[in-house]
Amino acid sequence: MKFNFKPSPNYRDGQSTGRIMGELTLGLLAVFAFSLYYYFTNFSASYGLRAILLMITAIVSACGTEILWCVFTKKDILNSLKNSYPWVTAIILTMMCPLSIEYYALAVATVIAIFFGKLVFGGFGQNIFNPAAVGRATIFASFAGAAAADIVTGATPTSSMAAQNWIINSAEGMSSFLKPFGGLGNMFVGLYPGAIGETSALVILVVGVILAIRKVIDWRVPATYLITLFVLAAGVGLMHGAPISYALFHLLTGGAMFGAVFMMTDPVTNPTSAAGRIMFAVGCAVITIVLRLRSNLPEGVMYSILIMNMLTPLIESLTDGQQIKMKSKNIRNLAILFVAGLAITLLVGSTIKPVAAGSAEAGATNGTETTYNVTQHGFQGDNQFEVVIDTAKGEVVSVKMTEFNDTPGIGDGVNDDYLSQFVGAKSEDDVNAVDNVSGASYTSKSAKDAIIQALNAGN
Amino acid sequence: MSLLTGPMRKHLDGHKELTSHTELVKVEAGSLVYIPLINGNSTAVEVLVKEGDRVKVGTMIAKRNDHFTVPYFSSVSGTVKGIQKMMHAGLRPVDHLVIENDGKNETEQPFGTLNYQTATQEELVSFMMNAGIVGCGGAGFPSYVKYRGCKGIDLLIINAVECEPYITADYKNTSLNMQDLVTGVAAMLKMSGAKEAAIAIKTTKKDFIPTVVEAFKDYSNINVKEVPDVYPMGWERTLVYEITKKRYEKLPGEVGVIVNNATTAIAFGQALSKGMPITHKYVTVSGDGINTPANVLVPVGVKAADVIAACGGYSGEDVLLIAGGPMMGKTITTDQFVITPYSNALTVLKNKPVNQVACLRCGRCSDHCPAGLQPVRINQAEKSKNVAMLEKLSIMDCIECGMCSFVCPSKIDVTEGVRRAKRYMALRAKK
Repeated sequence: MKFNFKPSPNYRDGQSTGRIMGELTLGLLAVFAFSLYYYFTNFSASYGLRAILLMITAIVSACGTEILWCVFTKKDILNSLKNSYPWVTAIILTMMCPLSIEYYALAVATVIAIFFGKLVFGGFGQNIFNPAAVGRATIFASFAGAAAADIVTGATPTSSMAAQNWIINSAEGMSSFLKPFGGLGNMFVGLYPGAIGETSALVILVVGVILAIRKVIDWRVPATYLITLFVLAAGVGLMHGAPISYALFHLLTGGAMFGAVFMMTDPVTNPTSAAGRIMFAVGCAVITIVLRLRSNLPEGVMYSILIMNMLTPLIESLTDGQQIKMKSKNIRNLAILFVAGLAITLLVGSTIKPVAAGSAEAGATNGTETTYNVTQHGFQGDNQFEVVIDTAKGEVVSVKMTEFNDTPGIGDGVNDDYLSQFVGAKSEDDVNAVDNVSGASYTSKSAKDAIIQALNAGN
Repeated sequence: MSLLTGPMRKHLDGHKELTSHTELVKVEAGSLVYIPLINGNSTAVEVLVKEGDRVKVGTMIAKRNDHFTVPYFSSVSGTVKGIQKMMHAGLRPVDHLVIENDGKNETEQPFGTLNYQTATQEELVSFMMNAGIVGCGGAGFPSYVKYRGCKGIDLLIINAVECEPYITADYKNTSLNMQDLVTGVAAMLKMSGAKEAAIAIKTTKKDFIPTVVEAFKDYSNINVKEVPDVYPMGWERTLVYEITKKRYEKLPGEVGVIVNNATTAIAFGQALSKGMPITHKYVTVSGDGINTPANVLVPVGVKAADVIAACGGYSGEDVLLIAGGPMMGKTITTDQFVITPYSNALTVLKNKPVNQVACLRCGRCSDHCPAGLQPVRINQAEKSKNVAMLEKLSIMDCIECGMCSFVCPSKIDVTEGVRRAKRYMALRAKK
């Protein structure tokens, strides 16, 4: 007879870390499945296949890095791999990338995410930064141009909004801005171009709710983040007279939904206390919107997570103590954080200016032909066009770019050859029927807008 | 659930069905019984008998004689054989008074009966003291202390929650001795000076609640209060908060509440009406390491081995033997320890390996800690021996309920880490 000694309690809940990470993986794959559906149906099999191959590339790189690490540190490979969950990082990282990313760039970023993001800190549970966010930051910093030229999915809402200085100050402006993406409804469903796994708010929310109910993720973090982000965006919108759809756009675009559900909830890099997690989420929301409004980056979610990761130890020590006694102090600190965040956001929001609507000046007239000089905002600056319209027939006679202020080498794909395609166009639909220049969608759009404006002015 | 503090409790599978409706097994004492001379942590004792003395069931044999008075009684009739140091259910070697059982079960009343309706509050308190009524929830705290000079009590809570998994001894005892419960509760209510009493029972005990309501139908100021089936609902602080929504610093008296266990109330009722102290205990013997789990009625001082034998013995060779329930009870590496006046369970579990992995900082332990502590932070601070941080984390509020280890998905011994922290800080304080 053997009576064992074990410290109490000798009773354990069925939930295990393995199961939590397993369910998280399934949730991520469900979101990925939606993306595959989008690429296979809206584009082609080769696009869908690329998404799958990218995913495999990342997972293989992640697991490979771990295996090499185990070999060098003389650890049991299978056991370490099983308790380190490298594939979760790989899946999240892949889903944050655009489909056009080169395989090698994703592979290198994954290796850096796993090695520098996680293993050097001591492995799973020890890392201070969200590894997937480290990987994505690596791509931003080093592989911004590593995009396959033959993969063209169109402008994303995030980069389009960035081109508008992140503010549109009228309801009409907002709805015409949203039109190419099928409106807010379609953005919620997610059938629009964007990072591979970040577009469908609907699927992410459904998966998030299920994971929250199953206690895989802490519901407080995404709930606080999304509510705060909405309030802050609505505040900025109010200052500029933007409609409520502007604030909702902030929730739907970029990685906001995906980051809230799958990245900010990463327990390893989060504070452990309930109050700390709420502070973390509020901080992420403030940084997200400030980065969106004023930084050179198109997107703020991922960097907001990395920055708040750095503050996690500070938040932890701020909330340490007997939690019932700490409650009033925690509420006070949260209130301070929220008010300060709102103030900073509004201050930053007050400095942004909406992109001026292009102007069409009627110039020389030659019989029925009128020349219009039109200015339209491109990617970085304003481009000027000379559009000649036959006002009798109501069609375009010629288009010429007279001033170019976008990125040399990219935007100048919009040349005379390209612009000649618009000759004879009679309506907005005719203009939009012409494809954008690959990689130069903003410059293309500025040309199209200029032509449409001239057509409208001439009729 | 609160946004800032988490639920601070959790439903867990109680496995109560193993023993709640099985027949009561009566265990007779063997040739020797061993009365442990310890109460709480105190071994200060004055032994009142000497080797060769004859004792009967109920004879006072010793008395705790420090700042509290707790008499110890014989549970059998026979001859005193002397004092022997043995392993105690509390995991430390303790003096036991050995009595040779003559099997005659002759009884004597060590104190008279008392009519609580005519007795004064002081009389009741001193009666309770002399009857050796101790908290039967597992701690063995002398009950009279709660009532001695109590003032401003509004509510008496009778704790029949029994939130520890596997244990159904209170339930069994209450079902079989309802009249003694009524007497005990009524007397305690009078002693407390409170206007009303609430008997807290888990809302899931659907068959049990009506019988208790029926038993107390003549007492308009004693009501059954249904509480959720969560752990640790039976902890004083959790229970007081659930019923009154008030929190207190040290003792429930601060918010006008006294809490006593249902089994304690029954013991008090039996002392008042029969003039007998706690000599026998209802003990749940359960778990997957027991062949026929059951509730037993066993004299104090009988060895665990005999009790387990009466329940069909062990079902495996490699087990965890726990004095108490699996959450708070301690594993003991021998079954040669005895049943005490405040024992309520023996849990035997098959020894299954636990696969421990790295902490993922999920915060479940902090969310569920009923004391509002942060076990994960305490464990971190303990590892680095960060004294300032340990002080901030108010570790001495931990009652070692085991919740943090229970919920830990990485199967880390979180509670044990907190215990290490407490020991470390206690040692530091001594230096």
